[in-house]
Amino acid sequence: MKRFSPMLKAVIVLTFAAILAPIVVVIGVSFNPTSSFSVNFGGMSLRWYQAFFAGDTFAKALFRISLPIALASAICATLIGALAAIAIVRFRFAGKELLETAFMLPLFIPSILLGAALYLFFSRFNAGGTYASLIIGHTLLGIPYVIRVVSAGLFGIGTTVEEAAMSLGCNRVTAFRKVVLPLLRSSLLSGAIFAFMVSFSDINLALFVSGPNTTTMPLQIFSEIVWQGDPTVAAASTIQIVLVSSLVLLVQKAFRVRLAF
Amino acid sequence: MPASMRSTSASSSAEAESPRTVPGKPWMWLAAPYFLLLLAFLAIPLANLGLISLYTRSASAIWSTDLTLQNYRQVFDGYYFYLILRTLRIGAVTTVCCVVLGYPLAYFLARCSQRALSIGLFLLVMPLMVSTVIRAFGWMVILGKKGVINTMSQALGFGPVINIMYTETAVVIGLIQIVLPLMVMPLMAALEKVPLYLEEASANLGARPLETFRKVLLPLSLPGLFSGILLCFTVSVSVVVTPALLGGRNARMIGNEIYDQVIASLNWPMASSLSMVLIALTFVIVAGGQRVGKRFRREPLR
Repeated sequence: MKRFSPMLKAVIVLTFAAILAPIVVVIGVSFNPTSSFSVNFGGMSLRWYQAFFAGDTFAKALFRISLPIALASAICATLIGALAAIAIVRFRFAGKELLETAFMLPLFIPSILLGAALYLFFSRFNAGGTYASLIIGHTLLGIPYVIRVVSAGLFGIGTTVEEAAMSLGCNRVTAFRKVVLPLLRSSLLSGAIFAFMVSFSDINLALFVSGPNTTTMPLQIFSEIVWQGDPTVAAASTIQIVLVSSLVLLVQKAFRVRLAF
Repeated sequence: MPASMRSTSASSSAEAESPRTVPGKPWMWLAAPYFLLLLAFLAIPLANLGLISLYTRSASAIWSTDLTLQNYRQVFDGYYFYLILRTLRIGAVTTVCCVVLGYPLAYFLARCSQRALSIGLFLLVMPLMVSTVIRAFGWMVILGKKGVINTMSQALGFGPVINIMYTETAVVIGLIQIVLPLMVMPLMAALEKVPLYLEEASANLGARPLETFRKVLLPLSLPGLFSGILLCFTVSVSVVVTPALLGGRNARMIGNEIYDQVIASLNWPMASSLSMVLIALTFVIVAGGQRVGKRFRREPLR
């Protein structure tokens, strides 16, 4: 612990204010009674939330597209990513280092390029714009998060409990299932939540891979802003902000995962 | 923002203590599903991108399979080249601003109480997980002609004070907000490892705070600084939405051009070669940066 100078404290407060400013402002706009993109300190209105749920486009983008796709990608990313993490952390085999680097590739390739590459690839088979194409892309984006969180969890558990179980007569699979898996639950859930959020807020990939029937909510927000929509956009944004904040809080408080990656 | 995990404290601390692994050839098949996924939906699509970048554009069928280098020649003259230069400039300015803004924040988080740390990390990670389009939208509302800043200054009697929407400055502001957490996290991880007594010793020997920073904290946090710079730069040169909303026509970046060529002008060979150039740039920067970074890596302090 250390005492900080008032100057430093002021700089910290200002920096956090700037990081949070755009998010706070969007929430403000969503309660604006008029139809301009501005924060109105005079009155409050819930009309844009009514418009959100009454209208077709946004409610569909949220409930029929973004949420199902995020859920499916999170499940796929957690299953595939956890298996890869177990192989990397627990076992030795030739070419492991190379594989480990390759496994972080989706993070190194900028997601707009992954989007462009997938779009041009799918268009060879006329398979673009489907749920499957988005789920595949988002699964790729989510897996590195799952691998990081689950590897950290596996390191933390160590091998002793597993060895104890095996010396008491379990085989490796049973030992893992009965002893390690229950201990790994919070890491798996945190990984899944991160994969969910990555998919839910992604726009770079969706810009390319979404089709007319699979417009995700961030993409819908983007096109409404470009075409001069009304503050329903802000209401949609606020719904995402609230959902994401609660999930981050859940990971931090309930699963006690340290947020710094 | 997926890039946030490229260099992580979790992994570096995990690598430090050598893990107990079991020789187990059959178990490597656990990694097979992910390997196949990467092969089918990353490696092959990227190879396909490389192939299309050599095709000839055709007005009637999007491409013809006659191989040519014409697209790459176009990338390096005139408009596209200028676009690449602007992209690199915006990335560089954003990164420098993040270094300046990131150090105080990272230092604070590395040295504050457990309670302040958990609040601080929440305030840092939560915005990172909110879609970039929402954050760009927020800046539009703040910086616009009738935006929050101008309305407030008018109410106080100063009249409109800023008109920076649709400029590079607006894009840089939007990007800083996006990539600053990516600078702060590796910096924080590096600064945490510097024991407090080194700072105290430096102060005892008569160094002023800035001198302590320059001679003790800065050299010892260089590895974190390097990963932060790499993250910030690579993320900020490959964006679409932020320049589209905050920069308009005046601050278009490579990402916007790739998007328009793919979706609007259907010039897929051109879009592919621009993408290949961006991939090459990213790899050169990451590889070069890691090489420079290694030189500065020191033995961890005990």
